[in-house]
Amino acid sequence: MDKLDSMLLKLKDTSEFMVDLAYSSLLYNNRDIAEEVINLEVQMDKLGDEIQKTLLEMAKENPESVTKAFVVLRLQIAIEDIANAAASIADVVLRGYADSPVIQMSIKESEWTIERATVSDDSVLRDKTLGEMRLWSHCGMFVMAIKRGAQYIFRPDRWTTLREGDVLIAIGPEESADHFMALSDGSKKEF
Amino acid sequence: MNDDEHSHSNRMEATVRELLTEMKDASEAIVDLAYASLMYNSRDMADKVHEMDDDIDNMKFEIRTKVIMAGRSKEDARDMTGVLQVASAADRISEAAGEIVKLLDVPKEERPFINEIINESDEKIMMIRISRRSDMAGNTIDQLAVEASTGTKIIAMKNRYGWIYNPDGDVKIRAGDDLIVNGSQDGFNRLKKFASGDCPWEFPEAESEEE
Repeated sequence: MDKLDSMLLKLKDTSEFMVDLAYSSLLYNNRDIAEEVINLEVQMDKLGDEIQKTLLEMAKENPESVTKAFVVLRLQIAIEDIANAAASIADVVLRGYADSPVIQMSIKESEWTIERATVSDDSVLRDKTLGEMRLWSHCGMFVMAIKRGAQYIFRPDRWTTLREGDVLIAIGPEESADHFMALSDGSKKEF
Repeated sequence: MNDDEHSHSNRMEATVRELLTEMKDASEAIVDLAYASLMYNSRDMADKVHEMDDDIDNMKFEIRTKVIMAGRSKEDARDMTGVLQVASAADRISEAAGEIVKLLDVPKEERPFINEIINESDEKIMMIRISRRSDMAGNTIDQLAVEASTGTKIIAMKNRYGWIYNPDGDVKIRAGDDLIVNGSQDGFNRLKKFASGDCPWEFPEAESEEE
């Protein structure tokens, strides 16, 4: 996979994750999550520009690559559209329009919540893999993504190690949320 | 507001809610289906994408009409502004899916990198056919608890009646059906064994797991 393909892959993954997050932010009326969508949108714009420049250079150097450039461009535009649509959903939340009963009662998985928690230096989660901690079976929360610095890890797997400062985005039943937050910030040590 | 008007407005809300839910679900499934159509070079799936795109477009108009008719107060208008924004976002997503499947017009040999990218994605998709030897055949999706048993989710399927997306749990799976699923590679491998009949399905114990 060359550099262009990797950029396109990242663009695709990010757009799909944005749609997930955007609908979640709406259903749980959660501003933190909506903000994440907007952050990602900024990254998408940069990546889109970079892809377009790469395409132009590629087509200039090698006229035979015009078809590929065309396909990538079309795909990139469609993916950016999806990302923009996700951002416009998050915007509903950020502007405070998501508390309408119609939206809240649409398929919200009853009593579920989405949370953003930071792994502290004395958290039991620190330096452990998701597989070891089994947060889903032990505490009922499913980690959808990890934000590490400016980077996101979407759909982390059981081998993903949690580090100090990682921001975990997790969904689960409301009654599990406090426990999960306490494990992350280090105030609770036991599952 | 008298009782009659009140029940009218509740009914309207219920309809809008249903439409919005439907649009959300469809907008999520349609993108997966669009990528699957490129991956399997399938006009058939692309047609389904266009059909869903049209449906979503119609739903958007229906929601607008309902919402405009129902507005009685500033509060209603505020509530419905968010609804309209979400409906149009869902529509934009489905239009983008329509654009993606247009790439089928480019010969398959000219776009091999698309399959590579889809295969490397966080959200992988795969199509699988149910063999006559598979004991999945004849059971509903709920009976099989496909998602819980394999970690893969059926986003669309084609049976003798045509394509359906986000099939309900009471839809029966039959030999010859094509399933489009998303999930992990591990999950695909498991599902493949069951669907081909190489492995007997492990029916879930009758335990009271969460729904």
